[in-house]
Amino acid sequence: MKVSLFITCLGEIFYPNVGKDVVEILEREGCDIDFPAGQTCCGQPAYNSGYKEDAAKAAKQMIRSFEDSEYVVTPSGSCAAMVREYPGLFEENTVWHNRAEKVAAKTFELTQFIVNVLRKEDLGASYNARATYHTSCHMTRLLGEKEAPFKLLKHVKGLELIPLSNSYDCCGFGGTFAVKMGPISGQMVDEKVRHVEETDADILIGADNACLMNIKGRIDRRGKPIEVMHIAQILNHREEGEA
Amino acid sequence: MTEGTIHHRDTFLNNIAEKLGRERKLSVDRPLRQNQPQWAVYEGYTQDDLLAVFKKACEAIHTDVRETDAASLTQAIEDVITEKDGSIVIPKDPRFSSFGLEGMLARHNVHVWDVSLGQENIKRAEKAIYGITFSEKTLAESGTVVQYNDKDMARSISLLPENYIAIIPKSSLVPRMSQLTRDIHERVKAGEKVPTCVNLISGPSNSADIEMNLVVGVHGPVKAEYIVVTDL
Amino acid sequence: MGMKIGNHPFFDRVDEGINNSFMRHAVSSAQDRLRGKKLNVTVNDQDLGDWEEWRSAGEEIRRHTLENLDFYLGQLSDAVAERGGHVFFAETAEEANKYIQEVVGRKKAKNVVKAKSMVTEEIGLNEALEEAGCHVHETDLAEYILQIDDHDRPSHIVVPSLHKNKEQIRDAFRDKLGYEKTDKPEELAGFAREQLRQVFLDAEVGITGCNFAVAESGSVALVTNEGNANMVTTFPETQISVMGMERIVPTWEDLDVLVNLLCRSSVGQKMTSYITALTPGVKEDSVDGPKDFHLVIVDGGRSNALGTEFQSALHCIRCGACVNVCPIYRHIGGHAYGSIYQGPIGAVLSPILGGYEEYGELPYASSLCAACTETCPVKIPLHEHLIKHRQNYVAGQGRSKASERIAMKAFGIGAGSPSLFQMAAKSAPFVTKPFVKDDKIPKGLGPLKQWTETRDFPAPSKSNFRKWFEGHTKKGEAND
Repeated sequence: MKVSLFITCLGEIFYPNVGKDVVEILEREGCDIDFPAGQTCCGQPAYNSGYKEDAAKAAKQMIRSFEDSEYVVTPSGSCAAMVREYPGLFEENTVWHNRAEKVAAKTFELTQFIVNVLRKEDLGASYNARATYHTSCHMTRLLGEKEAPFKLLKHVKGLELIPLSNSYDCCGFGGTFAVKMGPISGQMVDEKVRHVEETDADILIGADNACLMNIKGRIDRRGKPIEVMHIAQILNHREEGEA
Repeated sequence: MTEGTIHHRDTFLNNIAEKLGRERKLSVDRPLRQNQPQWAVYEGYTQDDLLAVFKKACEAIHTDVRETDAASLTQAIEDVITEKDGSIVIPKDPRFSSFGLEGMLARHNVHVWDVSLGQENIKRAEKAIYGITFSEKTLAESGTVVQYNDKDMARSISLLPENYIAIIPKSSLVPRMSQLTRDIHERVKAGEKVPTCVNLISGPSNSADIEMNLVVGVHGPVKAEYIVVTDL
Repeated sequence: MGMKIGNHPFFDRVDEGINNSFMRHAVSSAQDRLRGKKLNVTVNDQDLGDWEEWRSAGEEIRRHTLENLDFYLGQLSDAVAERGGHVFFAETAEEANKYIQEVVGRKKAKNVVKAKSMVTEEIGLNEALEEAGCHVHETDLAEYILQIDDHDRPSHIVVPSLHKNKEQIRDAFRDKLGYEKTDKPEELAGFAREQLRQVFLDAEVGITGCNFAVAESGSVALVTNEGNANMVTTFPETQISVMGMERIVPTWEDLDVLVNLLCRSSVGQKMTSYITALTPGVKEDSVDGPKDFHLVIVDGGRSNALGTEFQSALHCIRCGACVNVCPIYRHIGGHAYGSIYQGPIGAVLSPILGGYEEYGELPYASSLCAACTETCPVKIPLHEHLIKHRQNYVAGQGRSKASERIAMKAFGIGAGSPSLFQMAAKSAPFVTKPFVKDDKIPKGLGPLKQWTETRDFPAPSKSNFRKWFEGHTKKGEAND
């Protein structure tokens, strides 16, 4: 199976190691990975701020980069959801609308792809820790994927998953919201971190680097040592002595 | 003033039509609704099944339910009326005599709503400790009794006294509001007039406006009691 | 007082909200409590069947109704007039208030009792009535509390006094009305019952809002718990009901579906204690119930949304479910929105009714988490409406910042061109280098300043994914 990796702009600039984990996980599952060099950003910062035209420019570049792919996989529920929105950016342009629809239809968030397309749940991973999980809003509500990460984490040996209270509340990232509405966003992420701290988990896992960047920023500021990890880092991990 | 009037209608509705980008609509051909989940709720339930559902629903609305047969209805009402000296207000409703309640009522201080007495009725209802009415239809799902108010079946009776007692013929139980509203809809379509007040009452009045704490008994009754008559 | 709350700039109001710790505690515990209650009677209510199907049913009815709104309002007004009621169509708040002033003037009314109604709050009816020489008595417990406490403003469309605690309520009752008991909710509510009982019986005019008008029969349905709306419509000789023009259903069968969605979504009840449908019956010779019935139908800017991308905002049934799940509302409370319509629906509706000049900032008070869209019982795509408002705002209807427009233009160019994008990505570690401490940026400049007030920002990674991938692929090929 041929899979094109969409690493996301945040992933490329801040979290290249997550990209490496994604590549290794998918290769282990027999996928043939390529990395279309033309990829940039999904366009969400502009789209969510009301700049539809500027978002469309990003979308066109993304469509050009991925339209020959068989599958597009990205370690971000939010960016995957944005790609699924692409057809709506070209309501008056049939040609681009159709091209957008094709790309949207074959784009998946990583865990969604593994569980629903590859139909795998046990990836042989192991990780000895107490963890809690942040369900990101766009992944659960816009992409509608609520189960896949939990199905995969259930099979990670040594991992104890503790429920996070008020898990449904947004962490306060919201793209430009976090800088435009800083004081509100700051209160939201503070409450999120307090709930994370209450779990007494060693690590917080999530499937969206943007939320994780936000939450980690607050965790570090508050000072309780909780590690923040992308789910790909967990799924690609093997404790010593484990196969 | 008995004739109704309508003011500024045409400019208002023309503006709506214009904003909707079309001519004024003088008729609408409505397609059948695609989603009708309401009919599957308690579908095929017997009256016994519905009574069980009803009793369960009443637990959530702070309302006691008693069951009795018609022969013991008098006693059941007596059991509910714990303040024996408390006055009672009831509508002018032939069912009170046809169900043999006259004897019981004669033993109490009862005001029967009488439109010819005018405002005096309201004064009596305001002083009454108990208001008693029959339920016209009873909604199992939500523990709801239904009144069709008119000049004899006055609105005040279930509203002013501190205690409201509803007599519920078991046969009046239907699954939910859908059966009631379908019936009213059919009657409107047939040209019948809707009662001026269709009142669906589910337990006593209450409020959660203060720190989301439930307070039972605000402006309406503080207590509601339901008496289900199993063979009616 | 109308729709607007306060005169402070948006961020001052936000700060005020954030610093009001009682209010925030009240709001968050109300949200947490309501969430469970709502789930029990919606998605988790096995007897009800598929909640999603109910939502679809609600959406279907609302869509059809709004698409044919002129017809149904025509039918409604005919039915009301046929039964002897009077209908007044008001394009503006002023027209509505003037008509109501005339009615109370003709009645020489001194005392007016009111049931809870957001639309009368929106049009500033209380002030208009006082101007006409009436004493206005709010009778919904929450509205009563606000009125007693120096006309405080609503902070939630279903529980307007949500921001007040019982001590504050006790103090207001004590200072204004000589209340002597404790701060127990039962005693406070009991006091309101005592105070208002005679007021209900003496008032000449009763005013209500309208949850749903039923077009086919000319009925006004009220959904309440306290019994005050029944009082208001039972004893005064005149009933005036005021409705936003979209608050209408075609038939009683539609009423069933929407009442079900409303009760369950707003307060987590299968039915509220009273669902009361009132139809004029002035020819009926009854002792209680009004002799004179007026229905005032208000546009007030609602028609701005018709035929536009915002039409479905008018599908709203004012259940407040979106407010109850909104994480923004949770932290800033209702007053920060500066509108009587708060939370997600407030941020969508207020600019439609009151314009971008006044309410243009509200659509940005959302992280677009879509909790509102997910919970809305009539499936209004609330977060999409917020994005559309932002599009209009930056397209010139609002006051977007030039710096932001330039930044977004640059974004479009950068993200549209792979070479520019890669250049930016590659240069990120060098550009940010002066601010980096231990792989973090603890104090940012420009747009990052707000972020770093409360949290660290990561330093861009020094390792380059593209290079790694190139090497990784070559290694793979070498192994083949």
